[in-house]
Amino acid sequence: MKQPECVALLLAGGQGSRLGGLTRNRAKPAVSFCGKYRIIDFSLSNCTYSNINTVGILIQYKPFLLNSYIGLGSAWDLDNPFSGGVHILPPFLGNSEGSWYNGTANAVFQNYEFINFYNPKYVIILSGDHVYKMDYNLMLKFHKQKNSEITIATIQVPQEEASRFGILTVDKDERVTDFKEKPLQSDSNLASMGVYIFNWATLKQALIEDDENFHSENDFGKNIIPQQLGDGARVYAYNFQGYWRDVGTIESYYHANMESLREGHFLNVFDPKFRIFSNEDIFPPHFMGSAAKIENSLVCNGCIVHGNVSNSILASGVYVGKGVQIKDSILLPYAKVHDGSIINKTIIGEKAEILGQCIVGAEGQSTPEQEGITVIEDYHIIPMGSRIEAGENVYRTR
Amino acid sequence: MMSNAIGIIFANSGSDSLQGLALNRPIAAVPFGGRYRILDFALSSMVNSGISTIGLVTPHQYRPLLDHLGAGKDWFLERKNGGMFILPGVMHGLEGDNHTFCIKDLQRNLEYLQKDFSENVVISNGNQIFNMNFTESLEFHKEKQADATLIYKECDHMGDLIHERQLEMDDNQKVSHIMAQSSLESVETPHPHFVNMLIIRRELLLNIIDKYRSIGCLDLMDILTTNLQVLKIYGAPTDSIFWPIRTVKDYFHRSMDLLDCEVREKLWLGEDRIHTKIVDNPPTRYTSQAKVSNSLIASGCTIAGEVSNSIIFRGVVVEEGCRIRNSIIMPKCHIYAHAQTTYAILDKFVKVNGENVLKGSSNSPLVVFKSTVI
Repeated sequence: MKQPECVALLLAGGQGSRLGGLTRNRAKPAVSFCGKYRIIDFSLSNCTYSNINTVGILIQYKPFLLNSYIGLGSAWDLDNPFSGGVHILPPFLGNSEGSWYNGTANAVFQNYEFINFYNPKYVIILSGDHVYKMDYNLMLKFHKQKNSEITIATIQVPQEEASRFGILTVDKDERVTDFKEKPLQSDSNLASMGVYIFNWATLKQALIEDDENFHSENDFGKNIIPQQLGDGARVYAYNFQGYWRDVGTIESYYHANMESLREGHFLNVFDPKFRIFSNEDIFPPHFMGSAAKIENSLVCNGCIVHGNVSNSILASGVYVGKGVQIKDSILLPYAKVHDGSIINKTIIGEKAEILGQCIVGAEGQSTPEQEGITVIEDYHIIPMGSRIEAGENVYRTR
Repeated sequence: MMSNAIGIIFANSGSDSLQGLALNRPIAAVPFGGRYRILDFALSSMVNSGISTIGLVTPHQYRPLLDHLGAGKDWFLERKNGGMFILPGVMHGLEGDNHTFCIKDLQRNLEYLQKDFSENVVISNGNQIFNMNFTESLEFHKEKQADATLIYKECDHMGDLIHERQLEMDDNQKVSHIMAQSSLESVETPHPHFVNMLIIRRELLLNIIDKYRSIGCLDLMDILTTNLQVLKIYGAPTDSIFWPIRTVKDYFHRSMDLLDCEVREKLWLGEDRIHTKIVDNPPTRYTSQAKVSNSLIASGCTIAGEVSNSIIFRGVVVEEGCRIRNSIIMPKCHIYAHAQTTYAILDKFVKVNGENVLKGSSNSPLVVFKSTVI
């Protein structure tokens, strides 16, 4: 085994409850994105592209589907044991202690031994719920150049959205002077992307101190970064130029998907030099029936389309019956829509089924919730002839 | 599902009658069905039957084959115990052209057969489309304590298998005659046809190779036919789809058959899937001008024109105003604005510049060679 310069820790254990029906059955990083991918594909492909081959994936919430998707990491060429490879890191019991992961910093602290085993110079913390293409090496180079102890990747966001993010204020030298998690008011629009590079020595010390502080929520954004700033650590902001989307809410998830339908899209998954890998099931090519009509849409392998589809994304293995009308919608893997149903601005969960003659996303009288985006939970079956109003979240009955 | 058999696939037959499609590649490496190569069907059938040691007899122009196969990972053949073995075939010259299973190819790769401990060897031709599970046939072979079991399918004179050998069997399924097609008048009633796949005891196969080593190019099937009386040779039926690919017409029509829903269900949507090289293309993108009907389309394409009754492989670009009808467009082709193709087969990397019209006919589809710019 070779000692890696940098080890990546991917935080993939959060519940992602703001994604409603999409994360009821699986962890957020395992949620399908843009038809062919799952959200974690982006972080893992970035690691591969950046030659960071030792990746620890911290899991906790509903991990089964995520774990089986990651497998040995071979789909991302991360299965080389000589250079590290992928490690799934669930919470565990020790001799005298052991607990669930309690906050992002706590999760990393509990895997102290994992990082120490590789004893790298740098640790990069990633979160499994962002969609972006990024060369982490450039950030690492910046980190070294600035002789930084902690580097936070940042991106400029519109001023009105600043309250959704951790906002940084920097001086002329890009050194961070202030950090506020989800501020109500801020002059800066530099948002943290949730990607941090730490010197391992600095991180080690910070985690120990944080663990001893009983008032701490053990969170990177809320505790570690402000604490380190206060203690005078050298914290720098790396300004990332490129495409980055947080897909933590139904609305942002929906828009990030829909953006990919636009021509010349920033994410450019078609770029052969920086491909996004994924671990897809084996499917034959998709089939367009004689009566099918399709416009401005993305279609994956294994789909069978007999109806009308416009401005929509069909993931692998989707079935669209005869006389079906699908508009502005996202159909996740194996979703089925049977003859004569009408689907508007809806996210249909994996393996969910809409039986015949339904209207989903019907326009009601009142102003709908969540911008009128309807969400059908995975595996749910909507009975024949149902009418579901726009903006509804339809959950399975258990 | 451990199987007491190893596999050998003959992937080295070429053909003049596939025109340019098999010019620099064996038939087994010809792209088929939007994302596969013909070989994938034989290979996946064996893998799905629990056969995890598979030898591939390759021709001398094997680059396209190895490019596709890699170390066999996508067929789960990159493994400690068994896996995929490349068995370089011999140069046959003129006389080897019509052989199905040439003994000399095996003799050159004797070690592959010697070092294994398996009881049986499953041998298949690599240039035919099928999806079959060998488990039943292997059980049959064991039950009958057969020396060899020939797999056959009932087929009349209208079927796909008219060029194959015919079998005659007694009530006990024991083969009494093997006839070359030419020796028979056209048969109107369904008759068992050999589908170029057999199971043979490994020891017997080694024995045959040894005994016939001094003779030049001999076909295993001819040897079995000659020794029909001294060996216990049985026939086992199958009802899988069987499409030998010999001519451009075969290739074109069998491809078009895939547009039939029932055929697809049978061939690749059942329990046993066909595996192929995974390249992680993005989804296919349709613009608002796209018009598509009755077509199979693989991933990574951009479709802005009109496509009907066609098969489009991975990464193809069809620009605005194009008309693709009854055509097969192989990977990475680019059809520029307002070009038209009808009954055409475009090999990989073909570029058709704007306004061009390519036209073949159903009986003789137009074949455009790899990397041609029109």
